[in-house]
Amino acid sequence: MTLNSLMPVLPELVVVIGAMLLLMLGVFRGEGSTPIVEVGALVVIAIAAVLIFMQPSAPAELFGGSIVIDAFARFFKILILIGAAAALVMSMPFWRNHKLNRFEFSVVVLLSVAGMMVMVSARDLIALYLGIELMSLALYVIAAIDRENVRSTEAGLKYFVLGALSSGMLLYGASLVYGFTGTVSFAGIAAAAKSPSTGLVFGIVFLFAGLAFKVSAVPFHMWTPDVYEGAPTPVTAFFAAAPKVAAIALFVRVAVSAFPNIALSWQQIIVFISIASMVLGAFAAIGQKNIKRLLAYSSIGHVGFALVGLAPGTAEGVSGVLIYMTIYLAMTLGTFAVVIAMRRDGGQIEEIDQLAGLSRTQPVMAFVLAALLFSLAGIPPLAGFFAKFYVFLAAIQGKFYALAVIGVLASVVGAYYYLRIVKIMYIDEPAQRFLPMPRAVAFVLALSGAFTILFFVYPGPLVAAADAAAKSLF
Amino acid sequence: MIGLPHYLTVAAILFTLGILGIFLNRKNVIVILMSVELILLAVNINLVSFSAFLNDIVGQIFALLVLTVAAAEAAIGLAILVVFFRNRGSIAVEDINAMKG
Amino acid sequence: MTVPAFFFYLFSAVAVASAFMVIAGRNPVHSVLWLILTFVNAAGLFLLIGAEFLAMILVVVYVGAVAVLFLFVVMMLDVDFAELREGFLQYLPIGALVGLVFLVELVLVVGTWAVGPGIASAIKAPIPNASQVTNTEAIGRVLYTTYVHYFQIAGLVLLVAMIGAIVLTLHHRVNVKRQNISSQNARTRDTAIEVVKVKTGEGI
Repeated sequence: MTLNSLMPVLPELVVVIGAMLLLMLGVFRGEGSTPIVEVGALVVIAIAAVLIFMQPSAPAELFGGSIVIDAFARFFKILILIGAAAALVMSMPFWRNHKLNRFEFSVVVLLSVAGMMVMVSARDLIALYLGIELMSLALYVIAAIDRENVRSTEAGLKYFVLGALSSGMLLYGASLVYGFTGTVSFAGIAAAAKSPSTGLVFGIVFLFAGLAFKVSAVPFHMWTPDVYEGAPTPVTAFFAAAPKVAAIALFVRVAVSAFPNIALSWQQIIVFISIASMVLGAFAAIGQKNIKRLLAYSSIGHVGFALVGLAPGTAEGVSGVLIYMTIYLAMTLGTFAVVIAMRRDGGQIEEIDQLAGLSRTQPVMAFVLAALLFSLAGIPPLAGFFAKFYVFLAAIQGKFYALAVIGVLASVVGAYYYLRIVKIMYIDEPAQRFLPMPRAVAFVLALSGAFTILFFVYPGPLVAAADAAAKSLF
Repeated sequence: MIGLPHYLTVAAILFTLGILGIFLNRKNVIVILMSVELILLAVNINLVSFSAFLNDIVGQIFALLVLTVAAAEAAIGLAILVVFFRNRGSIAVEDINAMKG
Repeated sequence: MTVPAFFFYLFSAVAVASAFMVIAGRNPVHSVLWLILTFVNAAGLFLLIGAEFLAMILVVVYVGAVAVLFLFVVMMLDVDFAELREGFLQYLPIGALVGLVFLVELVLVVGTWAVGPGIASAIKAPIPNASQVTNTEAIGRVLYTTYVHYFQIAGLVLLVAMIGAIVLTLHHRVNVKRQNISSQNARTRDTAIEVVKVKTGEGI
């Protein structure tokens, strides 16, 4: 194993070594080192992203096939790095205002990003498990990082208990799959799975159950509203962005690479999960008063829509999933930027009613938020419409007509609560003004809003990249 | 003769006990953490048994790594529990109720 | 019954019984002790299978580190046992029924395990003959060569756990006086002693 053979994982090495160097920097410089560590983390992410862009498009396999760097992995790694960078940028003014200056936050975020990068590149069960655990342990820590706050520590505890349970189930499934096929690599499992035994199917069910938890798909979504509500808002923004993207990438790769021959078995599971998530996401969010809980249920719904693209098991479907996740990432980051900006002298505001009359007090913020909400609802010509269009098209091409129809109906029902917020902003009597948005947050909001509004003008590069990435999986 | 199904049955029983421990427990959160350790122990027994009867060392490597991660998970879980206790003053399962809906 | 079979049934029975006592015990300290007994018996099972390295590691890591950590935290949290509410029994019948059904299904599935035709070719790293190579050496042959990347990622996981434990629970106590040896050793005569001329009858 020479240095040359490690070149394909150079981005991961950069992130990991960067995290460790920043940790040392923070430890030895003590209090007040937080700004340098935060900027350092952003630099590390930027370097890793540039390295990923420069990687050749031919897939590279490492460590005996257990880690693969193909277009699919690179696409998702870029998304993850963007999500992490945006969450870090938005978190900086938040921590200042809350006098919570832990430099370890940036370091732990970098380590969870490293875990996510391993997850999306994993081609065998052990790498899958290690990547998931590295990501998850880091996330449990930052969920509880506001340790004086009851809600934050409770969120951390709930996330930990349910996360550990799901990891246990996933692992039990993985052990059964290993036992009944004799190998842990996805390629080996695919070969051995041509005639599945009951044990293998049991293993797959447990494995998918654990993965569905990580993705927060129904019926393993219970942790999402409480954890999203309790965790500090930039942490929630990070949760809604990068880990979801990474978990969906893993889900897709496991389903398509490891179990292609028994597609019939898992397609039914995916259809069920997808319908349940879309429907729950549409209905459960209606009565919510807290915007973070509403966004949690909304994200459950979006995962359902993304999985619609996975159900047919074709390259077009996977391409649809990739496009959906990119647009979802942009919309989510923008929406959470607004949530972070909802601040008055007394502290953060989380009630939706407090957005009343925003169009009169802060018109630009209201306009961009309205665009993002329309996009989340799937209204043309905004980006969210295209995202849903591609996944439903793939479902119809794969003859999953019922799935597409239910998806459209759920979309319509779900549009209600997004439009309700727009109505509150534009029609209701103004509530008290919010404090001016910090520049970092405004920057993220502007980028996300621009992407959402202008996507229809030039969708070509994204669609092409998604197609190439999806084909590399088959 | 003690064959593979015997070991797998023991693992299955431990796994079930762990799951029951998480869902039936109403007393305190420490028992939940210990149930998670039982689940991971069941997985380890599964992996090592398969490894021995398949004559494949990969299962034991997997089990070794699961052990490592389980230890790390226990450490973090207990740290989160301690922080929660400092805020809430109790570790009874009913007291984890600051957020509802 | 042959000796290995006897030991298998002994270890399994004690392991299962203590696992049950872990979740059913009233007192968290007792639960931890039952957990330790479960781990030790699982290590015994590993010895019977022939994975003696893992058996020893189980005892060292799980019993020696994890269980002791649990005990520390249980003691530290100073839980009032008298207040622990009883709620276990009301769910027990339905829980036990569901658990039993689940268990029966699992056992039916794993009982049908058989070496399939494709399995022998799928094995990547067969265990070398035990009379020539010990279990420890067999693991060592692959862990640092073929599977070194797993080893490194596991190291990162442990790093995250360490950072997490410190970030969440370390409190710097501001009013505790601590020694700073280097500044104590760096004292010079000028900084340590001040000579004051005092007039007779007056204080300082």
